Amino acid sequence: MKKIPVWIDTDTGVDDAVALLVASKLEEIELIGVSAVAGNTSQENAFRNARDVLALAGKKEVKVYPGAKKPLVIDLHTAEYVHGSNGLGGAQIPLSDAPVQEKKAWDALYEAAKEYEGQLVVCPVGPLTNIAIAIAKHPDIVHMIKELNVMGGAIIGGNVTPCAEFNIYSDPHAAENVMKSGIRVNLFGLDVTHKAYLDDDDIDAIASFDNPASKLFIDSNHLLYESRAKLHWKGVCEHDSCPVIYTAHPDWFKGHKCGIYVETQGKITFGKTVSDLYTDFKFEDRHCMAFMDVDRELFSQKIIDTYRQF
Amino acid sequence: MNQNKKIPVILDGDPGHDDAIAWVLASTIPDFDIKAITTVAGNQTLEKVTYNARRIVSLLHLDIEVAKGRNRPLVSDLIIAPNFHGETGLDGPRLPEPDHELSKLSAIEMMEKVLRESEEKVTIISTGAQTNVAALLLAHPELKEKIGRISTMGGGLRNGNWTAGAEFNILVDPEAAYTIAHSGLPLQMCGLDVTEQAIVYPEDWERIRALNNPVAKVVAEWFDFFFIHMKSLGWKGCCTHDPCAVMSLVWPEIFDIRDYYVDIELSGRYCRGATVADYNGSSGNKPNFRCVVGLDRQKFVDKLVEACASFEGWEF
Repeated sequence: MKKIPVWIDTDTGVDDAVALLVASKLEEIELIGVSAVAGNTSQENAFRNARDVLALAGKKEVKVYPGAKKPLVIDLHTAEYVHGSNGLGGAQIPLSDAPVQEKKAWDALYEAAKEYEGQLVVCPVGPLTNIAIAIAKHPDIVHMIKELNVMGGAIIGGNVTPCAEFNIYSDPHAAENVMKSGIRVNLFGLDVTHKAYLDDDDIDAIASFDNPASKLFIDSNHLLYESRAKLHWKGVCEHDSCPVIYTAHPDWFKGHKCGIYVETQGKITFGKTVSDLYTDFKFEDRHCMAFMDVDRELFSQKIIDTYRQF
Repeated sequence: MNQNKKIPVILDGDPGHDDAIAWVLASTIPDFDIKAITTVAGNQTLEKVTYNARRIVSLLHLDIEVAKGRNRPLVSDLIIAPNFHGETGLDGPRLPEPDHELSKLSAIEMMEKVLRESEEKVTIISTGAQTNVAALLLAHPELKEKIGRISTMGGGLRNGNWTAGAEFNILVDPEAAYTIAHSGLPLQMCGLDVTEQAIVYPEDWERIRALNNPVAKVVAEWFDFFFIHMKSLGWKGCCTHDPCAVMSLVWPEIFDIRDYYVDIELSGRYCRGATVADYNGSSGNKPNFRCVVGLDRQKFVDKLVEACASFEGWEF
């Protein structure tokens, strides 16, 4: 079976780390490159964490490229309250000794897109800054990427504001740029990622493996556990694993064709992903899929299986 | 509801097929004492909707004054909806000509008068753009205490219709909606969340037609016309928006009603006029709206049919 070439653009991040580990073990895909972006944590932290997590996964050969240190227009606001000061909730893992890449994320991504001749699937799981810069510098990249499987946004609701989700809210201008670029976008917003959680039994299973990966999982998730108890969540949402697992198992997810754009001028709707999924009004250009549902059993089992393999 | 004391009501709208059906329904509620009908530009121009309001008053044999309201939104330029409601704003069946003079008072003066003269708190049912009601609140904050509740059809917590972000009534006059949302008054909102579930199917309005009284026949023909555009949008029946704002006041038990803080977006490339609900309490604001978000559709239809049946034996 020919593996699907996948690029992950990440602000690594507690749930980003899970997504990277999952990507390293999915048989259906080949992780061919990773780029770091500021979001959950600084670009520097994201860059280091992505490298270290890949080394932990035994994937030192996957190159990690440095990306944008701040959003296109607005200031950076990281999420220490979830991801801690180092981006991994304070968890310590060995430093990678892989060679440090100097090439910029947008140039490396462009070269990869050319090399894979229209087959490359890109999974941005942080703010879309790097992707927007890639499009700005290399406009023809939009015809070279097969699809963008994005974690971000919400058709209904939000998390950082009543109607905006963190990744999109962090750089709405980049997100709007990407949505208008014509690249095919599969959006994994809070609508689906809130259904993609690990419950207590799942987390106990991961902890029981007692290997370096499962230790990272437990050590990095402590801020989420605390929020979880306070906010009465059903479990820990693995937002960023959604687009990655979808790439290998699209039939586990349910999406709908629609148009999606991003509000960059609203006072209370700033950063909202605006879709025509439920409206009589339809955008002229509807090249997106909004994902709304996932088979949680299969999804969580796949993540548990990942950790078993370390 | 108190059996002895009727609730004084002002009907404010832009008829419009669904406004008209809402008013037919309101006229049959024994607990309502309809004090005035006021019109506002929206579904069609002010002149057209006012003429329609007066014809509806004739059809229903009401002895209620109609007062003409604002001909344009507070800030926005007027948008109208002839695709839904036709050139007259109430295309379809022939209606009797107006049999009452138009009030010499403006809608806002009429509302002011009703509020001043009323001993009971007045319920305002707004089924169009909220321009008149906002103008009243801005001009007469001292009369707020005379308002018991404002029940609106407008907005949508989940989605819009006219744009991806906004529903028509709010989009027509977002600043008016904002004024009401921040008034501190008891507010009830029927947005698209409920009204797009309040679907009346052709077989439902055939039940109304079969009642064979003059009002029921007109209502069925309004549905016939309203369905032309709804069908072209892919709907299998008519979203019967405005009657929700009446019915959810009278029979709340057949509706799913939740308290939320809802704010109105005044800016935005896509979201001007969006009604944004704080589902998870992240804004820290207390709920300002009772939001009607669902209903028992069959009971809703049955109530509409019953309302139309009460015109048994009437003549034009």
